[in-house]
Amino acid sequence: MADKKKMSVAEILAAARSSDGKGGAASVAPTPAAEPEAAQPAAEETAEKATAGKLKPAAGGARPSVADIMAMARAKKEAGEAPAAKPAAKPATAPAAKSAAAKPTAKPIAAAGAAKTGVQRDTASILAAARAGAKPGPMSKADAPSRPAPKPREAKPVEEKAAPSRTVATLPSKPLKPAKKGEDAEDRRGFLQIALGSAMAVGFSALAVTGGLFSLGLARFLFPNVLAEPPSKFKVGFKDAFPSGKVETKYVPQYGVWVVNGDFQGLQQIYALKTVCTHLGCTPSWLEAEQKFKCPCHGSGFYKDGVNFEGPAPRPLERYSIRVADDGQLEIDKSKTFQEELGQWADPDSYVTV
Amino acid sequence: MHSNGFFLQDVAGFLGGYYSCIAIMNGIAALILWRKKGQLGWAMVWTALAIAMMVLASLALSASPGMVPALPASVRSLVNRLSGPMLYTLGTFALLTVLFVFRSFFVKPMVAWGILNAMLVLMGLSMADENFAAIVMKPDNVPIVGLVFLLAFFTWLATKQAVVNDDRIARGLPTVEKENDEKVLVWPDLVYTELICMVAVMAFLLVWAIFLPAPLEEPASSVKTPNPSKAPWYFLGLQEMLVYFDPWYAGVVLPSLVVFGLMAMPYLDFNKNGNGYYSIEERKFSYLTYQFGFFVLWITLIILGTFLRGPNWNFFGPFEYWTPYKVEVLNNVDLPQMFWVNLLDQPLPKAPAGASGLVQAGYVLLREAPGLLVMGAYLLLLPPLLAVTIFRGFFAKLGFVRYMVMANLMLLMLTLPIKMILRWTLNLKYIISIPEISLNF
Repeated sequence: MADKKKMSVAEILAAARSSDGKGGAASVAPTPAAEPEAAQPAAEETAEKATAGKLKPAAGGARPSVADIMAMARAKKEAGEAPAAKPAAKPATAPAAKSAAAKPTAKPIAAAGAAKTGVQRDTASILAAARAGAKPGPMSKADAPSRPAPKPREAKPVEEKAAPSRTVATLPSKPLKPAKKGEDAEDRRGFLQIALGSAMAVGFSALAVTGGLFSLGLARFLFPNVLAEPPSKFKVGFKDAFPSGKVETKYVPQYGVWVVNGDFQGLQQIYALKTVCTHLGCTPSWLEAEQKFKCPCHGSGFYKDGVNFEGPAPRPLERYSIRVADDGQLEIDKSKTFQEELGQWADPDSYVTV
Repeated sequence: MHSNGFFLQDVAGFLGGYYSCIAIMNGIAALILWRKKGQLGWAMVWTALAIAMMVLASLALSASPGMVPALPASVRSLVNRLSGPMLYTLGTFALLTVLFVFRSFFVKPMVAWGILNAMLVLMGLSMADENFAAIVMKPDNVPIVGLVFLLAFFTWLATKQAVVNDDRIARGLPTVEKENDEKVLVWPDLVYTELICMVAVMAFLLVWAIFLPAPLEEPASSVKTPNPSKAPWYFLGLQEMLVYFDPWYAGVVLPSLVVFGLMAMPYLDFNKNGNGYYSIEERKFSYLTYQFGFFVLWITLIILGTFLRGPNWNFFGPFEYWTPYKVEVLNNVDLPQMFWVNLLDQPLPKAPAGASGLVQAGYVLLREAPGLLVMGAYLLLLPPLLAVTIFRGFFAKLGFVRYMVMANLMLLMLTLPIKMILRWTLNLKYIISIPEISLNF
């Protein structure tokens, strides 16, 4: 590891976990003779960390990582508590033997006890203890072959004593569920079920009713009492206001309609074209010079009679209903439209013969 | 052309600063190269360019018509005359192809730097044209100018890493990503970087919003459509698609297919290579398909819609005045019309008056038979045909269902460029045109 500039996160975690895991595993070892040994790995751990902390900057010369700094700090603190700890420390003398809590009597709660007594104070080591024996930390598939798996440092002579006790650290088994006491439990649960069930039923019924009423109220908004829309029927003046060939654009802003006096299939007619492009609904503009309606959105073009000829518009502009009213004026009714592709332009309501 | 002195005076100050910035940029580049060993030649080149840019800056600051550096009028009119949607789209496609084929050349830092300089200078020279400047400097359109440069940069960056990796893989070395393990801690490295980026972007956006305020226009009216009427910039690709298709297809089906296709990608991709590192050689099919969809069918259409589509959605050259009175012949014909009237010289099949609905439907089907046959063959015959020819390996690896999904996604994606080309060359409006039920394709 010293040949690398910096330890990767995965390696730091793996190293930390493997050393912590040992400590944890040792301290929960359930052997009756575990007392001296349980104390020893803790000392060994601190010593190891202390040496590691000292050696690493010298060897690598690189900036110590966050994990290193933390390990050093921890090692110093623990070394203060256990001054006797040395790299080649002999067992048993360390005052860090608070882990005497890990007595056989305390077996079922050994892990928790050890954590409380201060041998393992941090979450990481508790987690590690729980995980020990599992794979050493997250590692991507791509990394796995290239990187040597972090070794459990078995080479040290001190460890050999700890080795037999470094068995798999299992979580204490869960307390068994209390056995059922016959019908008693069923009854109580049944009572709850009835009580809660009926309350639920009431609640949900109320909710359903409220929701239904609310939806109905919402739907009511779709049919307002007053419609602030211009009337669908309006008069645009007498026939002679529309000389042959003229496209009247002055009704566009208010009514959205062109009144055209033009010929459609050889017949001279006055018709009202809806100012909505049949492609995507923009308002085309009438270009007098080019004699066409041209849409600014996608370039659809329509002849004066409303028939599409350029751009993407798939069908001709629509006509509104038009008729000569009783007073002789032209009356347009926007409530009815006529589509050429459906053959509706032949309908006499769709035009006024000149 | 409405050139006058006022425009030049307005733009001169900007151009002076613009050329000075290019000069400073090149000066810094020269300085960095000069400090490195063995790059003296390039340092000299960029120094010379910096000096030239200083000259251009001072010329621009003179603000007199003859002095401000600009493209010659003949070149501008030639560009205007040549440009059209066809040349634009096929040209960008060809350009991207060249960039891809010779990528190992274009990713060299000095070449890329030269291209960046060429782009900047060309833009500066064009900016002296009033019509070009009016479009490019519009507050709406400034982000698209940024988009062009940003996309070019990021594509260059990724391509460079891919080219380096491909080279290493070819020589049997591990990829760069594997060798330099770049993993860092989320806290504090990543979170701090994100925080700093967030603050910087916020500050930048505030400054931008203050100096280039969003344009306020007249109140909206349902009967008055601005001319040209443009979607937000990120939808301009869609708007361009709508020129060639019916709204239900270009506005609903194709965008949904884009989303669906992107979601389907991980399930269709059987290539395990390129996981965690940049590579083009190892994933050529995926790379090319994606870049075609992204660059040719999305980005270039956004740029086309932003800069080259003017009033009435007509095509305008980059130096052309946006007049709403431009007349462009766009008479389009549906396929049934082409087939029955132009080819067979007989009227479109039409149900006799008063025929029942079923008879009418039969006549419609007869009328649309050519289009239906073409589309049926395209979507039903082509996938199996491809499966036994060029996609044989894909079919074997993907299996029937996944292969059919992939093939149909590809074919539907290709409907856009095919339809565009058919529109430009044959003035084809719709292949299937049933306006009676608003079904056009």
